[in-house]
Amino acid sequence: MTDTPLDFGDPADLDRLRREFRAWLAEHPLPERQSGEPVPVFLRRWHRLLHSGGWVGLDVPERYGGRGLTALHQVAISDELGACRAPGVPRIGYLAHALLEFGSEEQRLRFLPRMLAGDEVWCQGFSEPGAGSDLAGMSTFAERHDDHYTVRGQKLWTSYAQYSGLCLLLARTDRAAPAHKSISAFVLPLDRPGVTVRPLRAANGDDEFCELFLDDVRVEESERVGAEGVGWALAMTTVSYERNALDTGHISKYGLLVERLRRHAAERHGGLPDGLLSRIGRCVVDYEVLVAHARRRTAERLAGQVAGPESSVDKLLMTRTEQRLYDTALEVFPDELAGEGGELFGDYLYSRAASVYGGTSQIQRNIIAKRILHLPSNG
Amino acid sequence: MDREEFVLVRDMVRSLATRFGVTSADEVKPSTRTAAQQALDELGLAELRRTSPPAATAQECALLAQEHGRRPLTTSLLGTVLLAPELLRLLGAQPDTRTTPTIALTRELRFPGQASTDLVAWDCEGADSALRVSAEGTVGRVELGPAAPGTDLVRAVRSVPSDAPVEVVGRLTPPDRLRWQAYALVVVTAELVGAASSFVEQAVEYARVRRQYGRPIGSFQAVQHLLADATVLVEACTSVTRYAAWCLDNEPPERALAAARAAKAEVNSSALEAVYAGMQVFGGIAQTWEHTAHLYLRKVRLGSTLLATTADLLPALAVPEVTR
Ligand SMILES: Cc1cc2nc3c(=O)[nH]c(=O)nc-3n(C[C@H](O)[C@H](O)[C@H](O)COP(=O)(O)OP(=O)(O)OC[C@H]3O[C@@H](n4cnc5c(N)ncnc54)[C@H](O)[C@@H]3O)c2cc1C
Repeated sequence: MTDTPLDFGDPADLDRLRREFRAWLAEHPLPERQSGEPVPVFLRRWHRLLHSGGWVGLDVPERYGGRGLTALHQVAISDELGACRAPGVPRIGYLAHALLEFGSEEQRLRFLPRMLAGDEVWCQGFSEPGAGSDLAGMSTFAERHDDHYTVRGQKLWTSYAQYSGLCLLLARTDRAAPAHKSISAFVLPLDRPGVTVRPLRAANGDDEFCELFLDDVRVEESERVGAEGVGWALAMTTVSYERNALDTGHISKYGLLVERLRRHAAERHGGLPDGLLSRIGRCVVDYEVLVAHARRRTAERLAGQVAGPESSVDKLLMTRTEQRLYDTALEVFPDELAGEGGELFGDYLYSRAASVYGGTSQIQRNIIAKRILHLPSNG
Repeated sequence: MDREEFVLVRDMVRSLATRFGVTSADEVKPSTRTAAQQALDELGLAELRRTSPPAATAQECALLAQEHGRRPLTTSLLGTVLLAPELLRLLGAQPDTRTTPTIALTRELRFPGQASTDLVAWDCEGADSALRVSAEGTVGRVELGPAAPGTDLVRAVRSVPSDAPVEVVGRLTPPDRLRWQAYALVVVTAELVGAASSFVEQAVEYARVRRQYGRPIGSFQAVQHLLADATVLVEACTSVTRYAAWCLDNEPPERALAAARAAKAEVNSSALEAVYAGMQVFGGIAQTWEHTAHLYLRKVRLGSTLLATTADLLPALAVPEVTR
């Protein structure tokens, strides 16, 4: 597939979309984050503003509240936002995909428009204390009754559950079947009796992730997404969308910091300590590689290739870029380490999570070895 | 070219590589070199970049260079087919099929700067002269001296007599000089990407069949992760090089040169790292003279100094003015 020429260019309609979007941005100033306003709350305001202009879910069919365009249109919007230093697009793409691919028509009509509008905020309840990398080993159990389930168990690392109304929840529905066939997915409203959300403080001081305690929570059959037992397949689709390089919001964020480092290098030319100039150069290269890589994925998508295990390659490249970049940035701006640390220091701390969330780097390597290189499994 | 046409040309290079790919260092002999070069010349690929506008895009040329890099080949696809014709095309020189120039580089294999530096004719199998681009963009034709020894055992290099007369062929405009540098960087980089990706694929294949402790070595997680990391590096090299080539076809020369430099910087370190990983997977056998591993290593190691080293590139890329 990639040994013939690719078209990395923008078709004309993408160009037109970018121009329309820039015009809209010019008339809708970016909201300012108020002091003390938690990031997720600020981002939700931003989400709604973007949605009011029709800029959310461009690749989602119109009947579900999107615009019926392609992933490439969505990427173009991400790019534009990055270029004007705006917060990224709301990160709902991977959840929307799970519903589009596995949800019933009724569920898609019920949930997607409100998800896209930012009226309902979702979180992802996959990981558990005993099931991180080994997600299939989860023990949260949904016991079947006539027309509903009762769910018991505990979830961990559920990002922004404290700001969310709904949770895409994975639970076992069969104790006997092999792990990969016994997991089902549910839409769980977090205000149900029996649900306790307890925020955990992250290393950088932020309230990001939570613990979720589920004590005999009633979930309706109509809230199950897909058939019983397809939860594993749904989870794999979700995470591969979560990892792929097409969500260029991150990339733009790195780009801004890379530019800041370069400006500093230009101002201090020659005055930087030995080797630091080269380390900045290395960050520039990492960033250029990532941009080129995302473009290549876009071009492949345009040529008809579907998303698959190669998103693990994307994730490892993104991790490499982010971790080396923030590490270098602290070296360039040592003041960030003074006192209780600056904003950049907080981002540096968060960069260490890049090799953990969405599946650790080791798990991505396992996936590449097995599903791309088809190496034999052990035993 | 349209897609079918390109696939046809690429497959010609592929079958040339299968036929003439060296499977051991001892096979590199003058007679086999001549035969391989003759077969390449018969494909008539020098036409691809001789006309204006060229028959093949830079992206297509890069893909051919990549294909050529997949096996150890003595043929001068880069020097005589892709690079020298491009120089003449940029100069608007009349196509002249009677001579076969390659390109001249400094002894350290960089772009020549001052006219007086010691030069070599790089990748000169089948070449009868070499084109040198001076710092100001003047292109001159020089004669070839005797064969020069090189660490890349398959690539032919000859010295250029220091007193040889220079026949001026023309002068590149400043934007064309940038285009030329970007194109040369991209083509050279693409060949290294081909070498690294092919070598890693061979290591993966070996890991499937080689058994120790009663199981394939590819089932050990330590080996799997080595190969997975090498794969990521090869993908990074592929993406950045493909994009740099595309930039040459579609973006202004300053942008194309910046992209080409980033590609070269990535490939200098990552292609080498990937080859190291592949060699590790092969174990002792890759340390022998007969095995092709060292041919790949030699190409990629020398390649990482070719035209621009990491030490040249990184400090330059750190500051916004990338075109000096
Ligand atoms: C910032 C952040 C946000 C997150 N958000 C969410 C969320 O919203 N929803 C959600 O469900 N989860 C979320 N997670 C959880 C995340 O997916 C898990 O942390 C991750 O999958 C790893 O699981 P673990 O923490 O239990 O580590 P473990 O699985 O215990 O791993 C510990 C170490 O062992 C290694 N290891 C484990 N198994 C293997 C193996 N087979 N081969 C080689 N090495 C192995 C790992 O690579 C790691 O280095 C989030 C995590 C973070 C850090």
